[in-house]
Amino acid sequence: MNNLIRELRGERGWSQAELAQQLDVSRQTINAIETGKYDPSLPLAFKIARLFGMPIEMIFAPGEE
Amino acid sequence: MPRFSSKQYQSRVLVAMAIYTAFMLLVWPWVGKTPSMPLKALLALAATLPVLYVIAQMARLIRNSDELERHTHLVALSTATAVVGALTFIGGFLAAAGVVKLDGSTLLLVYPAVVLCYGAVRWRLVRSYGGNALCEETGIRPYLYLVLFGVVLMAVALLYPGRLDDARRSFLYGAAAAMIAFGGVPMARLWYRRKYRHD
Repeated sequence: MNNLIRELRGERGWSQAELAQQLDVSRQTINAIETGKYDPSLPLAFKIARLFGMPIEMIFAPGEE
Repeated sequence: MPRFSSKQYQSRVLVAMAIYTAFMLLVWPWVGKTPSMPLKALLALAATLPVLYVIAQMARLIRNSDELERHTHLVALSTATAVVGALTFIGGFLAAAGVVKLDGSTLLLVYPAVVLCYGAVRWRLVRSYGGNALCEETGIRPYLYLVLFGVVLMAVALLYPGRLDDARRSFLYGAAAAMIAFGGVPMARLWYRRKYRHD
């Protein structure tokens, strides 16, 4: 799955640690999501969408199968 | 509520291991000499308390982890359980058939084997997600304490060889070597990352 988290975080000037703190996850989890190595659960994906004030489908897109 | 961090976990494990080591050095030699069976059982069970505490802290760490951390913990634990379960099953049958001789104290190796296997699998798994299981959010200090603790144990074994029987000396050397290795490697890696990579 592809996502825009790194770009959205960059626009807001947040570090990975700051975003991790707001989402109550570890910095390594943010890094894994940003690099596409880990797909978050639906509750975490909705939490991310709520934090950035965007619909979930604008942040996450299906990658190549 | 702040998350239960790896740093808190490691500090508590370190204290529990210090108590366990002290118990094994000071109290365990008396277990064999105690004529009273209830007291013998009590002392034997008392030795397990620090390790049971460590297991409880591990459960707490997993319960308070985020979803990716929990995933890596649980995959590593289930893999370790399967591997050690299979090995004990094989060992059990070989012992029952009289091919190898295993006494009851072999069971003491089961938990350390699970921990070692869990650590190796989790290290590999966390790396596959781009992380670092050895150094995550802990800093150098817990590893430094572990190395220092190992050095103290090694010094005791080297300075008082005459006062220690073979079992206690072997326990000290083994524990000291393990602590220096398990503390020294991540400490060196953290130091290297901070000095040369600045991340």
